Amino acid sequence: MKNHSVNIILNGVLRQGQCESRTTLLDFIRHELGATGTHVGCEHGVCGACTIEVDGQIIRSCLMFACQADGANIKTVEGVANSDGMSDLQHAFKKHHALQCGFCTPGFLMSAEDLLRKNPNPTEMEVREGLSGNLCRCTGYVGIVEAVLEVAASRVNVNGERHA
Amino acid sequence: MKSAPFVMHQATSKQEVLDLLDQFGEDARILAGGQTLVPVLAMRVASPDHLIDINKVTDLNHIEISNGTLQVGAGVRQAVLECWSNLHSVQPLLQMMFPWIAHAPIRNRGTICGSIAHADPSAELVLALAVLEGSVILRSKKSKRIVKAGNFFLGALQTSRQSNELIEAVQFPILGDDTGYGFAEYGYRHGDFAVVAVAAIKEGNRWTIGFGGIDDTVRVHQFDALTLEQAKHLINQLASEIEVREDPTATAGLRRHLMRTLGARACQQAMEFKKDLVQ
Repeated sequence: MKNHSVNIILNGVLRQGQCESRTTLLDFIRHELGATGTHVGCEHGVCGACTIEVDGQIIRSCLMFACQADGANIKTVEGVANSDGMSDLQHAFKKHHALQCGFCTPGFLMSAEDLLRKNPNPTEMEVREGLSGNLCRCTGYVGIVEAVLEVAASRVNVNGERHA
Repeated sequence: MKSAPFVMHQATSKQEVLDLLDQFGEDARILAGGQTLVPVLAMRVASPDHLIDINKVTDLNHIEISNGTLQVGAGVRQAVLECWSNLHSVQPLLQMMFPWIAHAPIRNRGTICGSIAHADPSAELVLALAVLEGSVILRSKKSKRIVKAGNFFLGALQTSRQSNELIEAVQFPILGDDTGYGFAEYGYRHGDFAVVAVAAIKEGNRWTIGFGGIDDTVRVHQFDALTLEQAKHLINQLASEIEVREDPTATAGLRRHLMRTLGARACQQAMEFKKDLVQ
């Protein structure tokens, strides 16, 4: 029984939907709101494919119920792209072959954006550690780490700071 | 992988939580961060009829120093305590452990008290509460009791909490300024459950060593040692004597080996400990 009415701001747009108590935020965003960019992986908090941003913090959307998110400001992978196309991070993922099947990519993009916001100039170890909550079975992570490091370097240069 | 149906109660005050627990007791579970409970529901290991969500209860969000302890309320998320500016001076052991607790997205939502309530014997926070000899504050509609960690953790995922009680807060005792702390852990992947974790606390010549991940509960031992070599020697003895579990992730032999090597590393850290250097 869909007895909860949930209002969220999804990527800047107010959206409203109905859900059961047991509906995860992940299923709500995909099935009720139709935003299927966020992927369903393990559904128990291990793989990181469903990582999204809720009120400025990245979380696993499979480990939160939709009714708990009422009133929240949510950003998903659909909100990563610019109005004129893919973001610099998405371009870097493409350039460095940081994806093959692409299933884990939405989660990686959300985690990587969060990492770069908190630590704009990370070392390779810090990137690997920052992304350690996301699993990729295709790439072996090398391309993903290269993509994030390249974007970090270019963003730091644009901001006029010294890049170590 | 979907939870069985349940009734969600989104409480807005502590009193409401206690009333709901009083009413539904054994048929209810408290939902805090949900980082363990939600997977447990999804896998249908548990299927309670009622969930009592405490995320909107603002009077459980306190981090405070009282009676010589660091007291952390039921609503405090792990990431919030991790970023609390006084943590390194008040409770350095927790500061050392946080990088080992799951991953950032989990710590963003998971709570301190939730980890204690789950009582996983390989969880870092369970080890911290046990080795610091902390306490759990349990409150029901009619009474309040404070239970020492040693009496709270009864076994793997087993605690002495009654079904009508809320873990209102946990207390981590604050030790003297000259206390040394050490922590070492081994897991198969970063952020994964510990195969073995060791915490060492040195107060003068008095050592308290806690071993996590080796059995159904954290094992805490105390001894006197004047030198690092003596401490290592006593840990070697403990690693031979203590009962350890054997499971598909590690043999008893590997666990004993890790108790020795990680134990030596934790003791060395505690010996060389300087508060200002804790990151």
